[in-house]
This record gives sequence, structure tokens and C-alpha cells, in this order.
Amino acid sequence: MSVRVIVRTVSELCITLGTLLVLFVVYVLFWTGVKADTAMAHQVALLQDQWAKQPVSPTSTPGSSAAPEPPTPYKDGKPFALMYIPRLGFTWNKPVLEGTKTATLKKGLGHYANTTQLGQKGNFAVAGHRRTYGDPFKDLPKLRPGDAVVLTDGADWFTYVIDKGPYRTLPADVQVIDPVPRKSGFTRAGRYLTLTTCDPEWGHSHRLIVWGHLESTQPVEAGKPEALRR
Amino acid sequence: MYGWIWRHLPGNAWLRALISVVLTLAVVYVLFQYIFPWAEPLLPFNDSTVNDK
Repeated sequence: MSVRVIVRTVSELCITLGTLLVLFVVYVLFWTGVKADTAMAHQVALLQDQWAKQPVSPTSTPGSSAAPEPPTPYKDGKPFALMYIPRLGFTWNKPVLEGTKTATLKKGLGHYANTTQLGQKGNFAVAGHRRTYGDPFKDLPKLRPGDAVVLTDGADWFTYVIDKGPYRTLPADVQVIDPVPRKSGFTRAGRYLTLTTCDPEWGHSHRLIVWGHLESTQPVEAGKPEALRR
Repeated sequence: MYGWIWRHLPGNAWLRALISVVLTLAVVYVLFQYIFPWAEPLLPFNDSTVNDK
């Protein structure tokens, strides 16, 4: 085999490798976003279908807080709520799915399965990608105390208000999603919200945490909550 | 490598060029559909949860 053939083959392999890397960058920066947008739109459509089918039940009449039945558990990997954060953009809304598996987080935000349900006592904790897959929590550090995070499960609106954050911590710091989260400043049991994403933006060495508490709930028939009106 | 492929493609230059384009698109499709989704979680952009691991 001549030197010419060896040099040529090595050069061709290098060019191939370079092209491969460029394609991979295109995939990560651009294509995951396209896929995630499609997947999230599909999840939102699923939710809206589901909510359209369920009867408008004038269940709990205001004032009668007699024995609220325990809520049905969410199904793993399935959407159950929509989240709105006006600070991240008036049109910013994402589906919230049960569980924080890799495949689940590609389709929306993930609810930590071991944390409480929407509006219940305890800590409702949600994770989302900072970058790639539609960058749902790219602007999470912009959240400030007093900002509203509004969720709906099709029957009620839940308005949470941010109390603290962004707080930077290590990935193994699971106490930040405890019922009374460590470092959150909360001292008593309550109805809390925790949002987590990664930090730095493209890295995975740390996590960014934001905490809030449940400010108000209202049935969907009562219209959009104050925070979403313009 | 590419010269070798080119020499082994059938037909005249136009047909070979066409086959090359189709082959390239097929490779890109396989990469985007199968290889990259597999490789991407191995990179660090994806961890947004706190966990015990």
C-alpha cells in the first residue's frame, strides 16, 4: 500500500469525523428542539382531549370542605397538567408529565413521582431541561420572588408564587424537594412548589432550584387567574 | 475510501452521483433517528433532576 493511499484514507476519515461532529451539534442544538416542540404539542393535545371528555362537575361547593377524597395517582409518563410562567413569556406554557425519566423529560416537564400532587399539602416538585429539547427552563434564573407560576389540571387553576430562588446546589442534594425543602426558608409544612433544572446552562455539575408556595386555587369555570390576565 | 465507493457504484457519472446523494441522506437519517438519540443522553446537557445517584 502506497503512502498516497494511506494519507488519502486518513484525510477522508478526518473529514468524515468532522462532518459527523457538525451533524451531531445540529442534532443537539436544533433537532432535539424540533422534536420536543412536536412532542409537547402532542402532550398538550392529549390533555385537552382528556379534559374535553371529562364532565364539568360542580363538585365541591365553595365552603364545604367536607372530606376531600384522596386524589387519584398520576400515571407514569403521562401528562396531567399545564404550567404557565408569565415571567418566561406570556405564551410560555408546557405540559407536566408524571416522572422524571429521560424519555419523559423529552416530552415536557417532569413531576418528581415521590413528591406530592398538585395543590396538595407537601412539595410539588417539577424538573425541566435547561438546554436542549426545547429549552423549557432556559430562563429559570430570571424568576424572582413574587413571580407567579400557574398550573391547571383541567378542573382547577393553581397559582403558586415564587418565594426564593434561584438557589444553586449539587445534584445529590435531594433535600431541596423535601416536603419542607432545605434551604428554602420555609419552616412549617405547607403547599409548596419546587422547580429544578441544571446549571450551568450546558453543564451538569450543579442544579438550580426555585421555590414557591400555593397562593390561590380556583375552578376553571371561574376563568383564568389574575396572573394570566393581560 | 470515497474513491473506492465511487468506483463500485454502477452506472454512469450521473447515476453514481444520484446514488451517492441517496446514500448520504440514508446515513444522515440513520444518524438522526437512531445513533444520535442513543449518544445524546451520554452527554451532560440532560441532567435537570436532583437524585441520589
